[in-house]
Order: sequence, then structure tokens, then C-alpha cells
Amino acid sequence: MANIFAIVLCAFIGGGGRYLLGAVLPVTAGFPWATVLVNLLGSGLLAWLSHAETVTVKWPSAVTVGVGIGGLGAFTTFSTFSLDLERLLIQQAWGIAGLYVGITLIGGLLLSWLGVWSARRWWAFPVVEEL
Amino acid sequence: MMAAVAGVGAAIGALGRYGTTRLIQRWLGNHWPVATIAINWLGSFLLGGLTGWQFDRPLTVLLGTGILGGFTTFSTFSHEVVMLADQRRFGTALGYLVLSVGGGLLLAASGLWCGLHFR
Repeated sequence: MANIFAIVLCAFIGGGGRYLLGAVLPVTAGFPWATVLVNLLGSGLLAWLSHAETVTVKWPSAVTVGVGIGGLGAFTTFSTFSLDLERLLIQQAWGIAGLYVGITLIGGLLLSWLGVWSARRWWAFPVVEEL
Repeated sequence: MMAAVAGVGAAIGALGRYGTTRLIQRWLGNHWPVATIAINWLGSFLLGGLTGWQFDRPLTVLLGTGILGGFTTFSTFSHEVVMLADQRRFGTALGYLVLSVGGGLLLAASGLWCGLHFR
């Protein structure tokens, strides 16, 4: 029940935040910057959160679930990414479509990897060596 | 005001994703990220349909930006790809990536077509 409450609350903030960023950031030259930004930022943060043990151990588990699955899950979006891409292809804007896929995928994976790597490096419990 | 509408939708969508993920993982296990790909495919198809159908703005924000935006997720997708690569399952990681993006695109196009033709 605590998990559900945390997910609802955090997803409200994440989804509302995504809407606001979309309203503030204009689509310049047909390029959906807002979607790129939320997806890259959210990917890095979720990956970090999933491995930052020394941070999340101090939180009730509902907070970690809420922020990760609710907040960052709802902040990022896959459906808008698919549809943006489909729109660009219909408009035959091949260059922008290629850039959009490239930046989203390479950037998302890079930030996700960076999140995992940094959390393991600086926010993980030390591994106890077996004697 | 519209941000709150999107937020309410996203809360509903995220709960749907949480429930669906738990159900699919209990049913099929999580050796392969089936839950996320199913959610992202379904959400892409439905958002295509919604766009083709052309609802008025408050409803589009609630259903599209809110519910489907919150239901589908990019952060879990990219984390799963990275973790598959981390486990040295490079083929699975690449297959998951190509199927997610390619399938999402095809389903968005199919949804758009359905929305335009059945409205």
C-alpha cells in the first residue's frame, strides 16, 4: 500500500514535470528537445538510483520504489519517442529523424551506464573479500 | 492546470505499469525484459491511435501525455539494456533494443493508421 501511494505521488510530479518541460522547451527546427531531455536525464537518474545502495538503504523501500518506478518512470516516456519518430519519418525529415534516434539511444544508454558506473564506484557498499 | 491533468494521468499510467510489470514477471519471470517491451509497444500503439483520432486538448493531455506517457517508460528500458550488456548478454541487449525501437515505431504507425481510419 505504501508503494502504491508513493508511486502515485511521484508519478504525478514526474508526469507533470514532463508536461511543463514540454511547454517551456520549444520544438526548434522540428526537433523534439523536451522528449530528449526528459529521457536522457531520467535514464541517468534511474540507473544511479538502482545501484546507489549507500543512499537508498537509509530510505524506506517505498520511497525508492516511488521515486524510481513512479517518478522517473513517468518522467521519461517511450510512447512519445515512438510517435515523434513516426511523425518525422512521415514528414520525410530523414536527417532530424536519424539525429533524434541517435541522440536518444546513444545518450540514454551512455547516461544509464554512467549512472550504474558512478553508483557502483562511489555509492555501493564495499565488497567484503573472502578469506 | 494542464500540468496537473498530465500528472493525474501519469499517476494512473505508472500504477498500470507497476501492476502489469508485477503480473508479467510473476507469470514469465524476468530473465528477458518482456514486461517493459510489452508496455512500451502497447503504449506506442495506443498513442498512435489517439493522435490519429484527434481528441480535443484536455483529453489528449490526460490520455496521451498523462496516462500513456506515464505507462510507457524510457528510463527502465535503457537501464535494462545496460544491465544485459553488463551481464555480457550482448546479443540479448541488442535484440531488446532493436525490437523495442523498431516494434514501437511500427506499432505507432499502425495505431496512427487505425486512429485515422476508424474515427
